[in-house]
Amino acid sequence: MAENRQVRKKKFNQLKRANVVKFSSYISIMIFFVFYVIAVLFLLVIPRSTESQIEKRSLAQFPAFTVTGYFAGDFTSGVATYYDDTVPFRDDLKTVGYNFKSVFGIHTEEEVKIVGKPIKVVNGGSETSKPSEASKPSQTSKPSENSAAETSKPDETSEVTETSKMGEAEYTEENGIIVVKHNGHYRALELFGGGTGNAYVAALNNFHKDLGDSVKIYSMTAPLASEYYTPSNYSGYTLNQKECFDEIASRFDDGIVYVDIDTVLGQHTNEEIYLRTDHHWTPLGAYYAAETFAKAAGVPFKDLSTFEKKDIEGFVGTMYAFTQDANINNDPETFTYYVPDNYDKCVTEYFDTSFNSTGTGNFFNIVGDPQHNAYLTFMGGDEQIIKVNTNVKNGRKLMIVKDSYGNAVPGYLFNSFEEIYVVDMRYCNVNLVNMIKDNGVTDLVFAMVAYSEVGPNAENLEVLRTQ
Amino acid sequence: MVFSSLFFVFFFLAVVFLAYFTRKNINQKNIVLIAASLVFYAWGEPVWVMLLVFSAAMNWFFALLIGANRGKPKAKLFTGIAVCIDLLFLVIFKYTGFIVENHNMLFHANVPVPNIIMPIGISFFTFQAISYVIDCYWETVKPQKSFKKFLLYLSLFPQLVAGPIVRYSVIEKEIDDRTVTAEDINEGIKRAILGVSKKVIVANSLYAIVDQFFGTDISNLSFFGTWYTVIVYSLYVYFDFSGYSDIAIGLGRMFGFHFDENFNYPFICKNVSEFWQRWHISLSSFFRDYLFYMPIFGQPRKYLNLFLVWFCTGLWHGASWNFIFWGLYFGIFIFIETLIGKKRMKKWNKVLTHIYSKLVIVIGFGIFCFTDLGQLGYFFLNISGISMLTNGNEFWDIVTWNSFLNNLFLIIFAIIVSMPVLQKVKYFFNNWGNNTVYFVGNMASTVICCGLLLLSGILLVDNTNNPFLYFRF
Repeated sequence: MAENRQVRKKKFNQLKRANVVKFSSYISIMIFFVFYVIAVLFLLVIPRSTESQIEKRSLAQFPAFTVTGYFAGDFTSGVATYYDDTVPFRDDLKTVGYNFKSVFGIHTEEEVKIVGKPIKVVNGGSETSKPSEASKPSQTSKPSENSAAETSKPDETSEVTETSKMGEAEYTEENGIIVVKHNGHYRALELFGGGTGNAYVAALNNFHKDLGDSVKIYSMTAPLASEYYTPSNYSGYTLNQKECFDEIASRFDDGIVYVDIDTVLGQHTNEEIYLRTDHHWTPLGAYYAAETFAKAAGVPFKDLSTFEKKDIEGFVGTMYAFTQDANINNDPETFTYYVPDNYDKCVTEYFDTSFNSTGTGNFFNIVGDPQHNAYLTFMGGDEQIIKVNTNVKNGRKLMIVKDSYGNAVPGYLFNSFEEIYVVDMRYCNVNLVNMIKDNGVTDLVFAMVAYSEVGPNAENLEVLRTQ
Repeated sequence: MVFSSLFFVFFFLAVVFLAYFTRKNINQKNIVLIAASLVFYAWGEPVWVMLLVFSAAMNWFFALLIGANRGKPKAKLFTGIAVCIDLLFLVIFKYTGFIVENHNMLFHANVPVPNIIMPIGISFFTFQAISYVIDCYWETVKPQKSFKKFLLYLSLFPQLVAGPIVRYSVIEKEIDDRTVTAEDINEGIKRAILGVSKKVIVANSLYAIVDQFFGTDISNLSFFGTWYTVIVYSLYVYFDFSGYSDIAIGLGRMFGFHFDENFNYPFICKNVSEFWQRWHISLSSFFRDYLFYMPIFGQPRKYLNLFLVWFCTGLWHGASWNFIFWGLYFGIFIFIETLIGKKRMKKWNKVLTHIYSKLVIVIGFGIFCFTDLGQLGYFFLNISGISMLTNGNEFWDIVTWNSFLNNLFLIIFAIIVSMPVLQKVKYFFNNWGNNTVYFVGNMASTVICCGLLLLSGILLVDNTNNPFLYFRF
């Protein structure tokens, strides 16, 4: 055999080079042809993807043909987009791509990956990008560590004029994302660039003026996870959120209660209070926030041990799409949520954004693929108004004006209030002042994350008040 | 339609291959290519495809008139008219907004700036048309009598929207008579796949770094960050543009056309003049042949023409002052190198010449990058270190360092591939006397190319909008 192979090899080497070139070219073309045909058929024959779990969106639709659309180029670009966007097994292929990109370089011990272009906000960088001393809240307006749940009425002497300029034009509410390896797991952190919170302060003060003392108003802003888990050598790229919240709270009118959950969450950082693969906190983090709020509101609150614990294994959240980091996808987490013991005795009614009832339903729902949509377990998302009638009879009616961070909060308060209204600040077409008065709401809490407080979302609050 | 899309690679090309390779007659093959080219162009420009056809008709017609009046003054007149109309279209579509903006600025006027959308590839097909008309006048080529064949030359989709600027003389014979060997198809496929891979795997990944640091305000960027990003940007531009040229050359070869090389490992140059003999060769040779040697300024014309060429080179790249500065910047260095002389420069220390040329090239790409002159100003302040003194910018920052580490292998790979390493590997396999070595080399490259195409396809899944840099020209 070996001898025959040697003979064949010798004969092959004695052939004219031109013939070898031709022969090998034919073989190459055949290989390319087979490979290409398989690829083309894969894209043409296999059923196309219709939605992306990673990107949490429906994929492009085949465009409808119109003459004007054609000449505007919309039809042709739409066809190409449809073809490119709806590739079979899109999410799986994207994951392969992200895994490939993860070998582009070397990684430090902390395995930090940066997405976006964070700028220094404290402890370094240019002087102009540092918060001025004047912008920092005075010690007198800073709530003490022990009074987290108490009203932190700002000191009358605080420099409102000075502080209102905090970071103006120098900060953006978001400041990039870093992925870090922490306690053996990957965690994506949104860095915080700060902001004035002017729109937020103005809206809350105006709500207070409109509603008077008959409705108790609370501000409960959740810090981003970067407040607690940013490695020390990146701390200069994320602003101290507690200082920012305190400063904003110092400009609230008398009677608005500042619920300091930043301090409380800071005492539980060794627990899973933030999702590692998602931009939200965990239901456990929301539990500590709800507990703090209940104390501030003076309502009863059940211990976590009375709740039924439910797990969704293998959860990978939004941070995978945001960072495109394979490490996030390869390190899923368990999403644990808690169902109150009186859940069966509560009725959850759903309304559209104009507050027209669409019927009753479950507060806790499994939506789509729970491994990607676990956070939608609460009410299935944001784009509706919710009313929960509980079995509590204490005359207290709560309205939660929130972004998606607030979704995880209501369930913990089913034993605390008689009625709970949940309104997303981005998806509401009714006048909230009227709605609050018409429904006899007694407590109004603004529950949102830091970048909603200082970013464009806050501008919606004034719209809700005046529309 | 962009080359770096799944729709183009795995649908459009499949249809074109099927239609083209099932035709036996050259005339039918040409019709398939014309139809494919017009569909390709109309996919992105459903209206301005008419401009392409009109440009082809106009230049074809004037070339016939030039041919009919060979040696007569009328030939010069017709050449002038055709070139003026070509340039007029280019000015209208590409430079009107720029002209009005500068007029307003200069004369404190308030003329509304028209929002004219530039048809893609107009700079390329206009220059091809100009070269054809002038070549007809110079009698270096014969006017093409068939409009269909001329339209094929001007609209041929592999080189239509992003070059290279193919001279008519290069493919004149192949329009009528071309044979495609198995080796042509094999080499063409590999070249095209290499181009797609350079764009999708390398250029797009490098662009992510550039966008991270240069995509927003750079006033606070550190000294290290600015140098790091501009070096990455230089590599990005090379891989993006040369990738496109590779696709064009590869596809052309599969259809039997042999285009000239457009890039010849420009980063191995030892001086700026050599860089431009290796970078976008079809453009620099265009300006050399059709502008530099023109007796525009009379005697002594050499240096005035040199700066005119570099002014135009800059302006061709875009209707913005930074491109003009970029062109003149290179013009100054080439002027200085001309004064020093090639012989004297050859005696210089090789290490120093490489450092000199790379510094000039990389800083040049910084000028090329920033159309916003304010940001360009910050670029110079950052890269010179002045902003560390005036603005307190850092020398080094952890964000840039992290990006550098995370992309180290990619950058090293890009630098290696930008050198003639693959060329040397290929030379080794092709010229080794042993047929087995050649065969193994060919099969290995085939398998690697399949892998690269697969990987590019996978990465393209994440790119719904992924235009080539040179589309804007």
